Amino acid sequence: MNRIPIVLKSEFKRRVTSKGFILTTLLGPIGILIFFGIIIFISAQAVDSDSRTIAVADDTNVLLERMLRLESMDHRFVPVHAPLDTIRAQTLAGMYDGYLHLPAGLLTDQAHPVYYSPEGGGFSLENDLEYRIALALRQHRIGEHNLSPEILESLNTNVSLSLMKLTDDGEDAGASWVYSALGGFMGFLIYMTMLIYGTVVLYGVIEEKSTRVVEIMISSIRPFELLMGKVLGIGLMGLVQLTIWALLMMGGLALAGVVAGMLLDPSTLGVPATASSQELLAAANITLPDVSIDVFVWFVLFFLVGYLLYAGLFAAVGSMVEQQQDTQGLLLPVMMPIILSIMFISPVLENPHSSLAVILSLIPFTAPVPMVVRLAVTEVPLWEVLLSFGLLCAGFVTTIWVSSRIYRVGILMYGKKASLKDLIRWFRYA
Amino acid sequence: MPVLTIDTVTKRYGKFTAVDNVSFEGRPGRILGLLGPNGAGKTSTIRMIANITAADDGEIRFDEKPVGPWVQRHLGYLPEERGLYKKLKVSEQLLYFAQLRGLRRDDATDRIRYWLKRFEMEQWAAKKTQELSKGMQQKIQFISTILPDPDLLILDEPFSGLDPINSELLRDIILEQKEAGHTILFASHRMEQVEQLCDDICLIAEGRILVHGPLRDIKKGFGRDSINMEFEGDGAFLDPFVSGNQIRIINRTHHRVEFRLLNGASARPILEAAVNHTDALYRYELVTPSLSEIFISLVEGQAMHRATLRYE
Repeated sequence: MNRIPIVLKSEFKRRVTSKGFILTTLLGPIGILIFFGIIIFISAQAVDSDSRTIAVADDTNVLLERMLRLESMDHRFVPVHAPLDTIRAQTLAGMYDGYLHLPAGLLTDQAHPVYYSPEGGGFSLENDLEYRIALALRQHRIGEHNLSPEILESLNTNVSLSLMKLTDDGEDAGASWVYSALGGFMGFLIYMTMLIYGTVVLYGVIEEKSTRVVEIMISSIRPFELLMGKVLGIGLMGLVQLTIWALLMMGGLALAGVVAGMLLDPSTLGVPATASSQELLAAANITLPDVSIDVFVWFVLFFLVGYLLYAGLFAAVGSMVEQQQDTQGLLLPVMMPIILSIMFISPVLENPHSSLAVILSLIPFTAPVPMVVRLAVTEVPLWEVLLSFGLLCAGFVTTIWVSSRIYRVGILMYGKKASLKDLIRWFRYA
Repeated sequence: MPVLTIDTVTKRYGKFTAVDNVSFEGRPGRILGLLGPNGAGKTSTIRMIANITAADDGEIRFDEKPVGPWVQRHLGYLPEERGLYKKLKVSEQLLYFAQLRGLRRDDATDRIRYWLKRFEMEQWAAKKTQELSKGMQQKIQFISTILPDPDLLILDEPFSGLDPINSELLRDIILEQKEAGHTILFASHRMEQVEQLCDDICLIAEGRILVHGPLRDIKKGFGRDSINMEFEGDGAFLDPFVSGNQIRIINRTHHRVEFRLLNGASARPILEAAVNHTDALYRYELVTPSLSEIFISLVEGQAMHRATLRYE
């Protein structure tokens, strides 16, 4: 009789009814939102801290006025009418972050503007100032021709570039950064969940060993049944948690769509007042990426087998120690490939067809993260996906075989820390 | 009826031989005491019987068939190191172990109810295991061991942590199991318990069997060379006999002493000394040595024997 299902059921039930599981399941999405919120907040802060107070000595007498009228000013320009030496002294004393000298010859292209600051400025500041001065200069020159307000208005155009993703089924609205974000998110999620659920397996094995339940368990069932039941039960728990998260997020997105639809005014977007919220969103150029269901199916498959592969390894590590503190040295080699795969996530996002991306997604230990990222951002040839998945499955069968041999010896060993030499010996006499 | 046969079994861990060519038999309806000092190879032997590990040489048979995974269906094993899932409720815990050992859910539920009642623990069924005292956890562990009514019981220090009332109850249940014709292996360091319960004993040390057979025969083989004495007064008169290697004190309290005659010493001169030096002598009885004394002398004898061998 196969007792894996009994272990699976017990492990699953014990975990999904725990307070920890219920809390993380409900608070997980909030945590993720806060996490990304903090990232956005910090990047916004970083941009803000770039804003400078700049003294401007305008010898042309016209450009500064126009520069001040330009929209979305990152920097604060302060008109100063004082000798340059005074301004220099004031800047050095810290009154301004820097000062800009616009010589009179600028209007006739006979002189260059110069920016002085204690920090020397940066590349983006140079671009920014150049752009603003050039724009002010251009408006000044257009103004000299006494053009009608209509012509001036028509010159003020704003171009917003739409990026479309080309697929076999036609083109797909939704900017490619949305796909990148989605790919990055999915890759990160698979990395986090493999690590978290693997750790749950690790601690489960250590707990059984340190409470000595394991001796009773394996006098009733085979170690392999215990190992598989535990790994599968925790995997099922993970799947349930991911499903709940997906439902919560889908619900959240739908809700956000409705709320956005209510907030948008149909008349300003040129659509009938009777338009549905979806039409409204489309008119407002807010589109949700249309990701094919295949991507999600592959996500689940790569998550599952990737988790199983690592769970086996984590269980083997857990069987070798009696306390959580003892795992560190042993865990590092196991976690190295996952860490490697998350480190390479941005090159894979940038260029999903590079040889680096292809190779990473074929090695079973690193495959899940880059493969899911690539599937989200681009079209991956089916044979490549199948090969990667096949290799991953083969990798899982191999590691679970090796792990279960280490496990069945390791769980009965007490009192001393296992060395690599012990491991090889255990492997042999199991 | 199923007999447990350990047939010239050897178990090695690397270079270390934990069990060395050991043979003994456990018979149905009898309790076999498995004794030995710490590290003697008891747990290694038990693990091989429970099919947790495999023998390197020799064979273990139960009911004439070599043990394999199937034996776990017949087996109730209470390891010395107890363990339960702390977060599970008592009833869930028992049900889980019972199902793993092949019991159907409803059948298991009935049996759990019966045994919890027998141990007066019904009101604890819905409590989490971690809320239980150590003694109560012991009882839960024992219940889970006998729940599927196994015909081979291995009990490693089953009485540890139990108060006298629960020990009594446990002893009754073990004797019931014996009456039901089950084969029982009882491993313990508590010699008085072994002496009370066991029909046969098997003493191992350093992986080898020192003595094996019915308890009564073994005790008979040692002859009447121990003395129980009760007296009033100063017991110092015994000291010259001790330093002269004529006796060894096994147990000594204020008015009682238990000692063993060594090297063929006679009981008579000691009795004469006792009459002369004590205020009153209530009892001076020649008896067979206690199991604990047999254990000590055999284990020490083996150590001495090995020392002599090394010396030559």
